[in-house]
Amino acid sequence: MTMDSLDAVRVRGLRKRYGDLTALDGVDLNVARGEVLALLGPNGAGKTTLVEILEGHRRADDGFASVLGYDPGKRERAFRERIGIVLQEAGLDPAIKVREALELYGASYPSPRPAGELLELVGLGDRGEARAADLSGGQRRRLDLALGLVGDPELVFLDEPTTGFDPAARRQSWETIAALRSLGKAILLTTHYMEEAQYLADRVVVLAHGNVVAEGTPEELGRDDASVVSFRVVPDAPLPEGAIVERGVARWRTETPTRDLAPLLAWAAARDLELQFTVTRPTLEDVYLELTEEVAA
Amino acid sequence: MSTVALTGRWIGGRIRLTARNPRALVFTFAFPLILVILFSALNGNAKVDAYGESMRFAQFYTPAIAVFSLVTACYTTLILGVATARDQGLLKRVRGTPLPMGVYLGSWVTGAAATGLGAVLLLFVVAVPAFGVKLHASTLPTAVLTLVLGAACLAALGVAVASLVKSADQAMPIAQLTFLPISFISGIWFPLDGAPGWLVSVAHFFPLSHLVNAFGGCFVPGKTSGFPAHDLMIVAIWGLVGLYVAVRRFRWEP
Repeated sequence: MTMDSLDAVRVRGLRKRYGDLTALDGVDLNVARGEVLALLGPNGAGKTTLVEILEGHRRADDGFASVLGYDPGKRERAFRERIGIVLQEAGLDPAIKVREALELYGASYPSPRPAGELLELVGLGDRGEARAADLSGGQRRRLDLALGLVGDPELVFLDEPTTGFDPAARRQSWETIAALRSLGKAILLTTHYMEEAQYLADRVVVLAHGNVVAEGTPEELGRDDASVVSFRVVPDAPLPEGAIVERGVARWRTETPTRDLAPLLAWAAARDLELQFTVTRPTLEDVYLELTEEVAA
Repeated sequence: MSTVALTGRWIGGRIRLTARNPRALVFTFAFPLILVILFSALNGNAKVDAYGESMRFAQFYTPAIAVFSLVTACYTTLILGVATARDQGLLKRVRGTPLPMGVYLGSWVTGAAATGLGAVLLLFVVAVPAFGVKLHASTLPTAVLTLVLGAACLAALGVAVASLVKSADQAMPIAQLTFLPISFISGIWFPLDGAPGWLVSVAHFFPLSHLVNAFGGCFVPGKTSGFPAHDLMIVAIWGLVGLYVAVRRFRWEP
């Protein structure tokens, strides 16, 4: 089937079991064209299984999956020409040179992107003649990214693109990936880092125990009506109900931080005391941990 | 790009990569060459009985070691290469691109065969002038055919064994264990003439003794005719068995 579909990825009721283990338990998922979707979830949540089914590496037991209008399970060549896969650990001959690899792998696509252009995009412009074995870990991952883009794909699968990176290298990769989005590529990204999802993704899907447990924009998921207030305890200070004191810090969750804090602030002002307090909205990470814990419990 | 052009690209790439692999170069090119130079220099003019004739040592030894080179390039190196590519996720990478797995593996096999044939050529280029090894124009086509068929058979068996071994760690010991013992009874290191009958029967079960016999037979002094049809048929049968197992048991992930 070569019919173009509106969505880059469309998944309904996808199921996959390995013996007694249920990896996917009826997953629904959409990725729009040009959208960056982050797939979050703890190890064993089914992320890899889901992505490998969409890449054509595995077949689902049941359900419907369409990627760029193709059934990925058939692994048609036209399908493979239009996707780009960047695996976390994909081998490369240690003796192959960077530019040579891009030209050799590019040769199987109908309209490969020029090696020089890709090397500039991923910041390897001066390493074209280096052998794969001589690249640093970060450079190697950038070569993998370039190899995933060599066929000028409409959809790119990125498997934990910055795992093991130092903060500077991570920031650099994010900028490269953000540049891809501006080229209009749809990206399906798996990650363990909430910051990464927050920075890169248009939409986040949280997977736990083979089910989608939440989805929305990073802002929607991070937003919660409740705030968390915490302050360093001062003797005799009036604490609101429900506050928990741990190691000298009082903390509570509230939907009315202003009302809760008013008596405390009045009390402190009357005594000319300066309180050390913070009011925060839950981060995506807090929400994520809560979601995945609820499911585990 | 057409499949033929793509295959050509990848074969070229594979040969370049092999040329950058010091291990493959040493075992395929340098080691057999050193053996031929050393032993021919030591006893090149001694007479040995091989293939039912009495001949000079270098005349027996050069083609025999040539077969050793071919085995190293098309069997041992291929097993290690394909098993390592699988362990390191290279096959998984290829499977996610439009490059057909057949073209990719075909480039491995053809690259291995080209390397092996190159190594054989090098041996003769040195041994003919240096140790007076004689070639016969009339048997040369049979010799070349034997090498090509042998390379195909060994490569098919190599991919089959690579598909059967669990990991790259197992690949090298298994490649050596399946080759070395058989090489000792197949007439590579010393002629089978005068070996006990039961040993010869065991050797004749495997393809290597037939490959050595067919190829070495082309260099017997004074032999100008005869085609080793029986030997080549057995080599071809083993090749087909290897191909069948390779296709049936091929795995792209560890």
